[in-house]
Amino acid sequence: MKTNPFFNCLLGILVLTIGACDLTTTVEIDLPDYTAQPVVECYLEPGKPFRLLLTRSYAFFDPLGLDTSFLEKTLINGAVVRIAYDGDTIVLPNTLTAEPDPLKYFNYTASTLVPATPGIEYTLDIVLPEGGISSKTTMLPMVHWDSVVVERSPSDTGLYRVLAYMTDDLSSTNYYRRLFSINRLDTVPEQDFLVDDDLNATGLFVFGSGYQLKNQYIAYNTIVHISKDYYDFLESVQLATAGNENPFQQPSPIKSNVHGTANPLGIFTSLVYDREKTRAWE
Amino acid sequence: MRMSFTHYCQRICCFVSFVSLLAESADAQDVNLSGRVTDRLSGTALEGVAVSCEQTAQLSVTDEFGRYQVYLPAMADSINLHFYMLGYIEESICTGFNQGTNELNYALQPDPNIINEVLIQGNTVLSDKLHSPQMSVSTLTAKEAKALPALFGEVDLIKMLQLKPGITPGPEGTTGLFVRGGNSDQNLMLLDNAVVYNANHLFGFFSTFSPDAVEDVTVYKGGFPAQYSGRLSSVLDVRMREGKQDKIGGSGGLGFISSRLTLEGPIVKNKHSFLISGRRTYADLITRTINRANRDKKNYSPIPDYYFYDLNAKLLFALSPKDRLTISGYHGQDVFHFQDINFDFDFDWGNTAATARWVHLFSENLSVNTGCSYSFYQYNIVNQLDGFYFDAGSTIRDYNLKSDFLFVPNRQHTLRWGASATNHRFSIARLRAGSNDGQVRFESGQNLSSTELGFYGSDEWSVTPKLTFGYGLHVSGWFNGPKTYWGLEPRLSGVYALADNWSIKGAYVRMYQYAHLLAGSGISLPTDLWYPSTSKVKPQRSDQVSAGVSYLLHNQYLFTWEAWYKNLENQVDFIDGAEIYSTPDIESQLTFGRGYAYSPLELEVEKKTGRLTGWLGYTLAWVQRGDFQEINRGEYFSPRFDTRHNASVVAMYSINKRWQITGTFAYTSGYTSWLPEGRFSLFDIPGAAPQSVIPVYGDRNTVRYPAYMRLDLGAVWKFKTRWADNDLTFSVYNATGRRNPYFIYIEPQYQTVQVGDQVYKTPTGIAAKQVSLFPALPSVTWNFTF
Repeated sequence: MKTNPFFNCLLGILVLTIGACDLTTTVEIDLPDYTAQPVVECYLEPGKPFRLLLTRSYAFFDPLGLDTSFLEKTLINGAVVRIAYDGDTIVLPNTLTAEPDPLKYFNYTASTLVPATPGIEYTLDIVLPEGGISSKTTMLPMVHWDSVVVERSPSDTGLYRVLAYMTDDLSSTNYYRRLFSINRLDTVPEQDFLVDDDLNATGLFVFGSGYQLKNQYIAYNTIVHISKDYYDFLESVQLATAGNENPFQQPSPIKSNVHGTANPLGIFTSLVYDREKTRAWE
Repeated sequence: MRMSFTHYCQRICCFVSFVSLLAESADAQDVNLSGRVTDRLSGTALEGVAVSCEQTAQLSVTDEFGRYQVYLPAMADSINLHFYMLGYIEESICTGFNQGTNELNYALQPDPNIINEVLIQGNTVLSDKLHSPQMSVSTLTAKEAKALPALFGEVDLIKMLQLKPGITPGPEGTTGLFVRGGNSDQNLMLLDNAVVYNANHLFGFFSTFSPDAVEDVTVYKGGFPAQYSGRLSSVLDVRMREGKQDKIGGSGGLGFISSRLTLEGPIVKNKHSFLISGRRTYADLITRTINRANRDKKNYSPIPDYYFYDLNAKLLFALSPKDRLTISGYHGQDVFHFQDINFDFDFDWGNTAATARWVHLFSENLSVNTGCSYSFYQYNIVNQLDGFYFDAGSTIRDYNLKSDFLFVPNRQHTLRWGASATNHRFSIARLRAGSNDGQVRFESGQNLSSTELGFYGSDEWSVTPKLTFGYGLHVSGWFNGPKTYWGLEPRLSGVYALADNWSIKGAYVRMYQYAHLLAGSGISLPTDLWYPSTSKVKPQRSDQVSAGVSYLLHNQYLFTWEAWYKNLENQVDFIDGAEIYSTPDIESQLTFGRGYAYSPLELEVEKKTGRLTGWLGYTLAWVQRGDFQEINRGEYFSPRFDTRHNASVVAMYSINKRWQITGTFAYTSGYTSWLPEGRFSLFDIPGAAPQSVIPVYGDRNTVRYPAYMRLDLGAVWKFKTRWADNDLTFSVYNATGRRNPYFIYIEPQYQTVQVGDQVYKTPTGIAAKQVSLFPALPSVTWNFTF
C-alpha cells in the first residue's frame, strides 16, 4: 500500500533525529541465496527504431561496479531477439547503441522504425542459453496536453508554478505516468508518479508543480500513456525501492510482463507521450 | 467437521434446560451470608474486595455495589471472614453466627502504605488465580504501572502488558500487542465496555489509556469468558476509575512529553461522584515558538505542529441500594499540521467512546448490567493548495446495546447470560480531490453498514471442592446487506486442584471476528482501515486449546506453565502492491489465507507479596501464515512477529515508605523481515532518471533481525507537601544503551573522488544499515495527589 506525504514527512523527521543521535549502524546480515535473472527493458516508441536493453540482475551484496566496466559486466550479449507484429518479424541485432540527450543505451537495435498505429499487437521472443523470454504488448494511442499554464505566486516570492491540463477518455480505463522536470531532462525529475482514471469524475486531469520555479526557469511537463502492465511494473519498482528505505512501507516483488524459462524481470511496452517545454517568465 | 445449525440449536436447548435444572436444585444444605463492604472514611462501596470464609475456604469478590456472598454450613454457629483489598488494611472478623441473620456489612480502613497494599492484595490474587478455571489471564493495575520505568516517563499500561508471557511486543517503543500468534487487530480493546479501535497515539508510541483515569486492565489471552466475542486473540478489558465519594480530590503529573490533571469528588456526598481527567503533550508549543521566531527568515522550513490529548470522564450515581448508574466517556485526538508555501496540510485522528450502564440487583443472587455504548474512530487528511484541495479519511462508528445477567443460585454454580447488538457504520477510504472550481474532481470511498448480534450463556460449576468446570456458548451473528454470517463459539475450561497449592487447567475456545483491520506495514498506523465482513471477506475464526499447571509456593510465588495451540482461518492481508485509495474496489486488493501458532512453553512466575514484587515470563512459540493465493505462491511464511523466544523480568522493590526501585528487562529473539535478495538497474525512459539499484524481493520474511534486549531502571521517591502527596519517578529507558533494531535497510556506499576540479561520488559497495530509535533515555516525572 502506498504511503502519503505525511508519513514521508514524519520519516524525514525520524531520520534527522536518528542521525543526530548516531543511531544508525552498519550490520552484517545473511540474505537468502539469489540466482541472477535477465532483465529486459524494451520501449516501443513510434518513429524510433526497435531497440531493447538486455541486462542481468545481481545478488544484493554483489559489488556495485558502477565503473567503466559496468556495462560490459551487466549487458547480456549473444541472445536472439525477435519482435513480431502485424505479420512481420524483426530480428534485433546484438549491437550497442546510444541515444543522447538524455543518454540511453540499448544492446539490441534494429534499423526498422516502430509504426505509430495504435492497437497493433507486438510479440517479443528472446532466446538465451539458460532459457527463453516472451511477452506481448499493444501500441497505445497518443495523449496530448490541453494546455500548460504558468501562474505567479500570489505571495511576494517571485516564484511561479505550472499547471498542465489534459482531457482523459473516460470510456476506457487509462493509465498515465506523469513526469515533471525543471531545466534539464537528464536529472532526477521533480515529479514522477502514476495515475489512473478510475476515480476521475470529470475526465479532466490537472498536474501542477508547487511555487518553485524562478523567473526564466524551464518546465518540462510530460504525460506518458501507459499500459496496465507497465503501470504495475513501475508501481512495483517504486514499492520495492520505498520498502527498502521506509519501515512504514510494505515492499513488493517486481511485477514484470516478461515471462519464460529464463526467469526474467522487466518490461515490454509501447511508449507514447507528450512533452511540453514551458518557460516561466515575467 | 462443521456441525449443522439445527444440531447446535438442539445443544443450546439442552444447555438452557440444564441451566434451569441447576438453578432449581440450589443446595438447601447451605446458608447464604451476604453483605456490603465500604470505605470506612468515605462510606463508598468497594468493588473488588476479596472476602474469604475460613469455614468453607470459599472466596467471594465484591461487585460494583460492594456486595459479597458466601455460603456457610447449615450448622455453623460462628464465622471467620477475611477482607482484602488493594489500598486497605487487611482485616479479619470472627463473630457468632445467628441463623436468622444472613447479612453482614463491613467497613475497611484505607492504608496509605504502598508496601502493604501490594502485600495485601497479592495473596488473594495469586490464590484466586490458582483455583480459578479461568486461565491465560493477567491483570495490571495503574498503581503498579506507575511505579515502573517508562519511555520518556510516560506510564503506559499497554506497554507493561507487553512484558507478560504469550504477548509479543510490537516494534521498539510501540504499544503493539501480538497475543499468542495473533495479529495486532485481533485484540478486543474495551474501555468501560466501549470498543476502542485504535488505542494509539503517535504511531503507537503511546497508548490512549491515561494512567490517571484507569483503574486496571485485564488481558485474556485464551479461555475467553463467554461474554466476550469479536476478536480472535485477546481481550483487553480496561476499567476507568470512579471518582471519590467523600471529598474533592485530584491528581496529576508533569513529564517531558505531557502533563496530566485529574479532578474527582462527590456530586452528592457518599452517593454520586464524578471524575474528569485530561492529558496533553506540549511539543507543539515549542515548535510554534521556533516557527514564529524564524518566520521572516528566507528559506526557513517550518517545523510541523504535532500534539495529542486525552480526555476521560466518569459519573457515578448510586440511585438506590439496588441501582447504580455509571456514565463514562473518552475522547482522544492526535493533531498534525504543516504549512509552508506549497502546503497547508492537516492530519488528525482519534477515538471517541462513551458508555452508560445501569446495574440492578433483583435479589442477593441475581443482578443485571444493562447499558449502551458508542465508539467512534476517524482519521482525516486535508491539504489545501492554491486553487486545489485534497481530503481523505476513514471512520468507523458503533452503536451498541448490551445486557448481562449474573445469577449465583448456590455455591456450586455461577451463571451468566446476556445479549448484545451493535450497529457498525464504516466510511472507508474516502477521497475527495480536485480544483476549487469543480473542473477537476476525483472521488472514491465506500459507506457500509453492518449489524452484529451476540447471545451467550455460561456457568462456572464447582463439581467438587477440587474440580471446577466453566462452560458456555456464544452465538454471534453478522448482517451486512444481504449477507449473513452466524458463528457458534463454544467456551470450555476446567481446573482440578491436585493439592492445596497445585492445580491443573485446560481450556478450549472458538472466536469469530467480523471487522478486520487492513494494515500493510506491520506497524500500527492511523490510516489502517477497518473493513467489515462481506460476501467476499469472510469472518476470521480461531480455535485455541490450552493446558497448564499452576503451583503456589509459600503462598507467595505462583508458578504457571501453559501450552497452547491456535488455528486461524480466513486471515486477511493485502496483495503485493495493494492500492487502497485509487481503487473503487478495495476487496480486489485483498487476499485470504490461514495461520497457526503454538507454544509448548509459556511460563510465568508471579510474586505479589513482600518488599520485592513482580514477575518473570518466558515464551517459546512458533507462528505461521499461509495459503494466501497472492502471497508467497500460497506457501507458509513467518509473519514479522514470529519471535521464537520472549523473556521478561519485572521487579519492584520497596526500600522504605519513601523509596521504591524498579526495573524491567525484556528479551525478544529477532523479528523476521522481508529484505531484498537481489537488485537490478533500471535505465528507464527519456526524461526519467536511471536507477542503479532496484531491490528484488523474494519470499516473505526470510531474514531475522538481531535479538531485541532492553533493561529499564527506575526509582520512585515519595514526599509530602502541605497540599499533596507527591512523588518523583526517575526512569532510564534502555539503561544499557543497546542499539536495538527498529528496521534494517540496504543502501549503496559511495566514496568521493576528485579528478581535476571535479568531485565525483563513486559507488564502492552495498551495506546493511540498522536503524535504532532510542539510546539510553533518562526522564523524571513529577506526580501529585491531593
